[in-house]
Amino acid sequence: MTASLDDVARAQRARRTSFNEASARTRLELMLDAGSLVEFIGPEQREVSPHLRIFDLPEQFDDGIVVGHARLEGSPVFVAAQEGRFMGGAFGEVHGAKLTGLLRAAREIGSIPVLILFDTGGVRLQEANAGELAIAEIMRAVMEARTAGAKVIGLIGGRSGCYGGGGLIAGCCSALAVSEPGRIAVSGPEVIETNRGVEEFDSRDRALVWRTMGGKHRRLLGAADVFADDTVQDFREAALELIGLVGAFGPDRLKAEHERLAGRLRRFGTCKDAVDIWTAEGVADAETVPDLPADRFIALADRIGRTSRDAR
Amino acid sequence: MNLIETTGSHHGLERDDEARRGAKAMTSWQNNRGARDARIAAGAGLAHGKVVQARDATRLLEAVIRPGDRVCLEGDNQKQADLLSRALLAVDLSRVNDLHMVQSGVVLPEHLDLFDRGVAKKLDYAYSGPQSARIARMLFGGKIELGAVHTYLELFARYFIDLTPHVALIAAVSADRDGNLYTGPNTEDTPTVVEATAFKDGVVIAQVNEIVEQVPRVDIPADRVHFIVKSDKPFFVEPLFTRDPAAITEGQILTAMLAIKGIYAHYGVQRLNHGIGFSTAAIELLLPTFAERLGLKGRIATHFALNPHPALIPAIESGWVRQIHSFGSEVGMDDYIRARSDVYFTGPDGSLRSNRAFCQTAGLYACDMFIGSTLQIDLAGNSSTVTTSRIAGFGGAPNMGADARGRRHPSEPWLKAGAEADPDSPAALRRGRKLVVQIGETFGDKNVPLFVERLDAIELAEKLKLELAPVMIYGDDVTHIVTEEGVANLLLCRTAQEREQAIRGVAGYTDVGRRRDRAMVAQLRERGVIRRPEDLGINPLDADRSLLAARSIKDLVRWSGGLYAPPSKFRNW
Repeated sequence: MTASLDDVARAQRARRTSFNEASARTRLELMLDAGSLVEFIGPEQREVSPHLRIFDLPEQFDDGIVVGHARLEGSPVFVAAQEGRFMGGAFGEVHGAKLTGLLRAAREIGSIPVLILFDTGGVRLQEANAGELAIAEIMRAVMEARTAGAKVIGLIGGRSGCYGGGGLIAGCCSALAVSEPGRIAVSGPEVIETNRGVEEFDSRDRALVWRTMGGKHRRLLGAADVFADDTVQDFREAALELIGLVGAFGPDRLKAEHERLAGRLRRFGTCKDAVDIWTAEGVADAETVPDLPADRFIALADRIGRTSRDAR
Repeated sequence: MNLIETTGSHHGLERDDEARRGAKAMTSWQNNRGARDARIAAGAGLAHGKVVQARDATRLLEAVIRPGDRVCLEGDNQKQADLLSRALLAVDLSRVNDLHMVQSGVVLPEHLDLFDRGVAKKLDYAYSGPQSARIARMLFGGKIELGAVHTYLELFARYFIDLTPHVALIAAVSADRDGNLYTGPNTEDTPTVVEATAFKDGVVIAQVNEIVEQVPRVDIPADRVHFIVKSDKPFFVEPLFTRDPAAITEGQILTAMLAIKGIYAHYGVQRLNHGIGFSTAAIELLLPTFAERLGLKGRIATHFALNPHPALIPAIESGWVRQIHSFGSEVGMDDYIRARSDVYFTGPDGSLRSNRAFCQTAGLYACDMFIGSTLQIDLAGNSSTVTTSRIAGFGGAPNMGADARGRRHPSEPWLKAGAEADPDSPAALRRGRKLVVQIGETFGDKNVPLFVERLDAIELAEKLKLELAPVMIYGDDVTHIVTEEGVANLLLCRTAQEREQAIRGVAGYTDVGRRRDRAMVAQLRERGVIRRPEDLGINPLDADRSLLAARSIKDLVRWSGGLYAPPSKFRNW
């Protein structure tokens, strides 16, 4: 009985806590069943980055990621949450190894879903090759876990978004939930502007950034399957919904995913702006999409928004 | 030195010529009027009526401006006569050179390019935010001959005494064919600049976004405007007063809570001005939550001299704010202001009418408190935003943040502060005191300490051989310092030593704070000179972002019922 009372209190807090603003640990505390998280390689073990000290940069005892097992609505889950406020949530050697290990555990067991709470700018530049290798290992580990029967769900709504290698890993997941402030892409706005010029992409035009990489666009494109309002409770419900929806994974599904992506490119490849895509998708007054409140947007997305539920 | 003397005599010759011409015409007491008419005649060939094409703007300036002229190129911390500044930069140096720029803001790169190119030579100004590093380099390099760094009100005052412009280059939203100008919500400095120029035989040239049959309202009457240049694109306006609630830290929230309970509530401050920092934005966002729970609604923060800060929207919507007069406008706030004319000053057309000179005066004389942030505070309480590599100027803060010695009307906070400072004088003869509050975290941006033994401004003054160090707010005007460590009430200090220890006592773990005299600080705390969070009944752990009435720009849009339209750089949707 006490556990359920704890859960009522948890849910109340989760409903008024912004996922975007919360720390990685707060997100997990409020999203999972109360008190159920058991951390692997916690901060007390002080597995810190071997690279950052060379640059005289501060370390963090958990290297910016929390991994562990917990319960969600009574069922077991593996979880990983990146801390976007440490090094922009970037992947380093230890950070990456913790996520790889978690995914391999999921592969061995096969039936327990994995939740990854992304909040990352990509690879930690100071750990260059080790960070890049970590991305490759994690992508492989995601696909192996899925092949073994584990569902891998990405939840994206942190301040650092989901960029660089994080965007690649997200693309490998079984399904994604995203909120409006969440962004998903590989190259970030500043990178595009630096390489292709401000005429190609003005990184300071934040409305442009959000309608190109932000949660609403990703949902309408079908890259994300669920749009969450920016509360921890909403992400919990999104995770539960996706765990229920995701089907079995195999070569046929991967082929379907490739067809989905090819078809998307055919349909929208010539569009110059996200608004053009939304218009082509049949959204009336497409330019008003960024201003829609969450409930009206979700209704719109459910009506016309695509999903990758038959693919991925 | 040589160069200055040469141009000085050159300049003198020019004036002598004008004087001789005047003498021949037997109008020896109207030389300046004659010179003004000659300038207008020289420019008239390029104009249809008063309208000059944008492509002819440089030729117009070459025709109208004389070497050595005092020129006001309108630009302050918000709107910019950007087309005219580009046109001025392109002039033929043999016709226009060695100008003396007298302008509020040195903000655009072109403002300093003028000195690099030799179009301008001498500078009197008030504010240089984004150009603060480059202006410091150019002053060190001798590229600019500096008159003085002013406050806004001080520079405006000198427009009428010894810095009257020969030519004013101003910006407006629209003009009619006669030259009536609509300056829109960003009226700002324009009426003051035009008043000083047009009524003292100067020439006024306005860049406008459009020429219309009838202007929505007349902000500047046509007979004060001599030429109009239609710009291809609207004049630039910087959204300087928008603070994203998402960037407010818990430390700033704590300082805001301390200020509300320790100062606003303690004195019952109703009439005030806020600076533009994140701590004051936090105060604005705590009014409908934390302050409301303290029962302070209607008792504090009802009348403001303040730009239309988006962060104040939740307090306005919750019925806290009765009236706001503004220095300028703020990008994205136009529709909201129109719809809330009970609160803002608006014209017959419905849009905001701002006026920097009047609002500065209001802040100086009719407000009981100024509260703002700074970069450095020394042991006497002197504060400065100048560092050795940046000269940001003052803008208006010193006008708000100064005790108005000419004030004669009483008010509760003013009298109470006066009594705290001077308890022994007879009440009827005792001056009140303006509350001047500096608020900030002991370690600011990039962990730079707020408190210093010696201001960088002094070193700068020595390097540049200035007679005055650029001090933003003098220590004897500062009444309170608020940090996360508590509130120091300097009004209650009786000696310089007490004052120093009161400041060290709220300086936390900075070097200044660690050198405090522990016994004396403890004694000051007993006397209530220093009040810690627990003395005010505030638990620092309660300083949580969930206290903010809005935690994002989008929340502000929601509070405004969709009337606030934030510029793209502040959106995350």
